[in-house]
Amino acid sequence: MLRKLTPYLFVAPLIAFIAVFTYVPIVSSLNLSFREWDFLTPNMPFVGLDNYRELLSKRDFWASLHVTAGFAAISVPLRLALALLIASYLTRETLVSRLLRGALFLPYVTSTVSIAVVFSWVFSTDYGMANAALRFFGVAKVSWLQDPTLALWVLIFVNTWKQLGYDVVIYIAGLQAIPQELYDAAAVDGGRPGHVFRRVTMPLVMPTTYFLLVISVIEAFQVFTIVNVMTRGGPAGATDLLVNQLYRIGFVLFDIGQGSALAVILFVLLVALALIKSRILGKRVHYEA
Amino acid sequence: MSSRFASTVLASLVLLASTILPASAAVTVKFWHSFNKEGGEALDKIIASFEAANPDVDVEAEFVGNYNDIVAKLQAAIPANRAPDAVILEVTRYGLFADRGVLTDLTPYFDADPLKDDLYGYAREIGVYKGKNYIVPFNSSTPVLYYNKDIFARAGYTAEPPLKTFDDILAVSRTITDKLGADGITGIAAPGQFARWGLVMGNDSELIDSKTNDILLDTPNTIDAYKWMSSLVYEHKVASADGVTEEDNGRDAFLAGKVGIMLNSTGNYGGSKKALGDNLVVKPMPCNKVCSVPIGGAGIGILASSPKDVQDAAYKFISYAASPEANATWFAATGYLPINKKSAALPVAAEALKSQPGIDVAIEQLPFAHGRARPPVVTWMRTTEYKMWEAMALGQRGVEETMKDFAAQTRAEAARQ
Repeated sequence: MLRKLTPYLFVAPLIAFIAVFTYVPIVSSLNLSFREWDFLTPNMPFVGLDNYRELLSKRDFWASLHVTAGFAAISVPLRLALALLIASYLTRETLVSRLLRGALFLPYVTSTVSIAVVFSWVFSTDYGMANAALRFFGVAKVSWLQDPTLALWVLIFVNTWKQLGYDVVIYIAGLQAIPQELYDAAAVDGGRPGHVFRRVTMPLVMPTTYFLLVISVIEAFQVFTIVNVMTRGGPAGATDLLVNQLYRIGFVLFDIGQGSALAVILFVLLVALALIKSRILGKRVHYEA
Repeated sequence: MSSRFASTVLASLVLLASTILPASAAVTVKFWHSFNKEGGEALDKIIASFEAANPDVDVEAEFVGNYNDIVAKLQAAIPANRAPDAVILEVTRYGLFADRGVLTDLTPYFDADPLKDDLYGYAREIGVYKGKNYIVPFNSSTPVLYYNKDIFARAGYTAEPPLKTFDDILAVSRTITDKLGADGITGIAAPGQFARWGLVMGNDSELIDSKTNDILLDTPNTIDAYKWMSSLVYEHKVASADGVTEEDNGRDAFLAGKVGIMLNSTGNYGGSKKALGDNLVVKPMPCNKVCSVPIGGAGIGILASSPKDVQDAAYKFISYAASPEANATWFAATGYLPINKKSAALPVAAEALKSQPGIDVAIEQLPFAHGRARPPVVTWMRTTEYKMWEAMALGQRGVEETMKDFAAQTRAEAARQ
């Protein structure tokens, strides 16, 4: 009996941890999404689907979804393309490439708040380094974080800069796992670099790409800290990504029911995206060389 | 042997208790506030002198951010049972907490407190919600107009130009921006939310009627005031957009000597004086159509969830914080308004009035200063106003359309609450 129980006892603490900090909040969020609550009163009347109805009827929600989709659509391919490009140059085990890998990885392990604060100053219209550099070349100052079109690009840039190191390291691992013989065979067959990259590297690095795609899309839909520190969703809602809106509804306007409804919608959206990706790309992912 | 041992243990316990009990008898009052820098230092002094006079009360003060942060953290702390015993709450936003039964009704304390008769009428009114007292005023303010004398001189003003109407201010801001823009100096800081409310009142209107709680966001005079404020940034470009998305940026630029005019709370006097010295000039807010300014600032409330003995100790502290001694210290250090009639006669306040020119401007505005409405929807309205202001000031949406939409949304929210 004890023998049968032993493995379960070993995993029990971890299961308890995940249950308390992941599954209970998910279920609790689902429950709160059907209730009206402002944190202040002990009563949480059941309101059915009212929170969902109200949220989906708001222009702000659809605008935020649009902004988030745009953010993901630009930042994910940009990150993956840059990461693959850089990784293919840093695959060799030289001192310089090791140093560069470390340098690239540093932003990933740096506090996001610190990065956001520093970049807020870099992109300050009046005193920022970015505009000082432009001024040096005789270019007029740019309202980086006040121009609704530019502000989202600034956030994409900062987010890419922060996350790139992680993608590069994962790609390097993926690239290093490709057997050298395949490149040797391609060279013997007279393959040009571009051709080899397309026919050998790309298909064999597909599992890594697929993994990074799933992770980075989820991450793009969950970006919050950079937005909250640098723009708070402004100017005029131009960078109001979904999680920032969730925070505002839940923790600034204190409509916990509607905030929870948005969390549930976000959860369903991410699951749906993962399934779509799996259907479309799953067939192209080969784990054997 | 055993009885001797028992006696020894008992005696030791009695001795131990006698040394511990006086210390543990001190009641601890956990107090959240929103003051750092000059304000934080002055508050620390007030707390220290209170504790010296009341050794049975220990005030554990914690800076938790600005007024918005306090509201957010308090709402999150309540269900987690981590709320403080006393908290600073901005004068238009405590209604929500009073309405939900979070704050203790301080009327019995206040009625029995001689302090009640010492407070100015405006200060007494601040703490009343639906006929009951929920906060005791601590830091009261009105917005004022600050300008940098050196920047004015560099822009060619040998004498003080008129600064009474919107047109006056725009003209001066334009001159400064035109003449000194190349040096990175702009005419005026984009007005922050408190100043925006003041400018609406100076244009003979309001955001919410203080008597009826009617939403006045879409009345012609409110819309006109917002049109003028937005034009400073978007149309005339005499105010930097940096101060639109983050209003502290406008204040910081003024303190750094990069902006000519700033409309801001009188509570910024201490910091501004420290930064600009003799170059700081303080004037009343513009009276575009009428002279009328909002009374702002905050008061201290006590949480209903705290035990009775802690509430008693907390009231002792907040009553002391509004006493002439504490209020005079606070006024002299920060520039916030005196709330106690006896404060101005004390040497520290008299000295400040004599040696710090401009610190009295807010006091001079009191005859036309007005309390503001504070129904629960104000918290929502003020949070949403930032986004609406950004859209207008950055030219994303027309002012009229935005304000009408804002008014409709606020009315719907008020009905929902």
